[in-house]
Amino acid sequence: MEKEEVESFYKALRDTHLSTMETLVKECIGKGASPMIILNEGLIGAMAIVGQEFKACQVWVPEVLLAARNMNRGIEILKPELLREKLPSKGTFVIGTVEGDIHDIGKNLVTMMMTGAGYTVIDLGINVPKDRFLEVIPKEQPDLVGLSALLTTTMLKMKDVIRAIRQSVSNPPKIIVGGAPVTQTFADEIEADGYAEDAVRAMELANRLLSRGG
Amino acid sequence: MRMESGLRSTPKRRFLSGLLGGRKGNRICVANPTSIVSVELMEKTGVYFPEAHLDPLKMSQLAASGCEILGFDSIMPEFSVQQEAEALGCVVDWGSPTMMPDAKTHPVKEVEDLTIPDNILEKPSMAVVLRALEILSRTYGDRAAIVGKVMGPWTISYHLCGVQDFLIWTLTEPEKVKELLRQLKEVSITFANAQFRAGADAVVIADHATGDLVSPKAYQDFLLPVHQEMNRRIGGPTILHLCGNCSDRLRLFVEAGFDAYHFEWQVEAKMAVQEVNHEMSLIGNIANKNVLFGGTPEDVYKQARYSIQAGVDILAPECAVPLQTPLANLKAIVEAAKEGYGAQGLQP
Repeated sequence: MEKEEVESFYKALRDTHLSTMETLVKECIGKGASPMIILNEGLIGAMAIVGQEFKACQVWVPEVLLAARNMNRGIEILKPELLREKLPSKGTFVIGTVEGDIHDIGKNLVTMMMTGAGYTVIDLGINVPKDRFLEVIPKEQPDLVGLSALLTTTMLKMKDVIRAIRQSVSNPPKIIVGGAPVTQTFADEIEADGYAEDAVRAMELANRLLSRGG
Repeated sequence: MRMESGLRSTPKRRFLSGLLGGRKGNRICVANPTSIVSVELMEKTGVYFPEAHLDPLKMSQLAASGCEILGFDSIMPEFSVQQEAEALGCVVDWGSPTMMPDAKTHPVKEVEDLTIPDNILEKPSMAVVLRALEILSRTYGDRAAIVGKVMGPWTISYHLCGVQDFLIWTLTEPEKVKELLRQLKEVSITFANAQFRAGADAVVIADHATGDLVSPKAYQDFLLPVHQEMNRRIGGPTILHLCGNCSDRLRLFVEAGFDAYHFEWQVEAKMAVQEVNHEMSLIGNIANKNVLFGGTPEDVYKQARYSIQAGVDILAPECAVPLQTPLANLKAIVEAAKEGYGAQGLQP
């Protein structure tokens, strides 16, 4: 995709009107662009720019939320095209905010990014007890599990969840963690398979962890 | 008995002096604009969440333990951020001893969905705070500073509309956001003034347009005029509580007319003191995560001494403390304060 085209996706992500994104995606489809390219280079490529701007404090959470909303609308329009191409799911991702924690903005952003990137996402919501993860994982056989926490107290629960999953699930999935107080050091301490500081990086991390050499 | 530095040796004098930028006295005040309740404190008093959010006597007993057991100079009885939300129609899950309350429904999608009841002060979740303040004022008014707390219109909007929707509206429907803030500020003003009548010495206004979520410009455009009006119409001293790294907007809080700002460790204390230039007092800023919750009493002591030396006006945890915070760490704040200002701190 040309730089200019990515730019127009970026503008559509930042636009307060959903119709800008709707028109753009429809136009691209109309011109015969590959849905995968629209998704990966247009929507996700532009979202990565928003992610970088957020990291550099050039935009704030409302702008990221707006971009995620607009991206989702773009994906909705693109979905029938993607299905027509019969693209296989990139993998199954189970995500939840750990028990005792009711914050979900970050988790929701990760859910949106992962859905957009082609994963089948099972969102268990907020305040998810350990046992709920243990119930869902054997049933759904996810490739990846994401744990989120915003509180210093609840992030400690992640350790219990990780240990429980590895003890009770044969062939356990990879587990990634995130949330405002979480750091790479903490993730290493609790033996998570990965840590990402924002939703765009979470998606990139997922792609890296699950790339099985073709 | 020797009176140290005369007049300012009682908790209330220390608090008022620190809050309004007055004489420094023999040592800094230790106060809590936000909750210092921990599981250990609940066990010691036999009063637990969620009952303490909804029963005035229990609320006042648990709040007073901060002064009785920990030695803080203030007593602040509102532990949750949901008292107004329930009165305005949110369904609130009042939580448990290890979980803070949370609004389960967000009934306002349009301005027309918002109804502010005429008798809002009589709604149980708000009346309980007024009754608790009356009890505390009667019982501890001669010993401690009694601090009230209200949610500002931004925070109430989060509960009523949902955080995500409300933040997106700041971009897509700014007029709607302004109208919600305009109407909801009346709740904050009414509640704050009622708290003063019930015996509060100061009222905290918690309005979570936090530094990590929104830009200084968003504060300036949406909240600054609202906060200015609130400070004109609230009859007693106000303390702004607004978390996150707000280093880039301290002057806006001065402009808003607050008597004090309750701030986080992320905001460097020395810089903050310089920036606000005694035009507003600073209350803070012992870090919750690594120090009060995750550190030792020695870590707390070091950070408290740093804040004192930096020239902070009142010493306090940076935000509501995690419920599992050890009591010894909270007591260490008071111990650090008792050592006075030290040579550097005596400089003007």
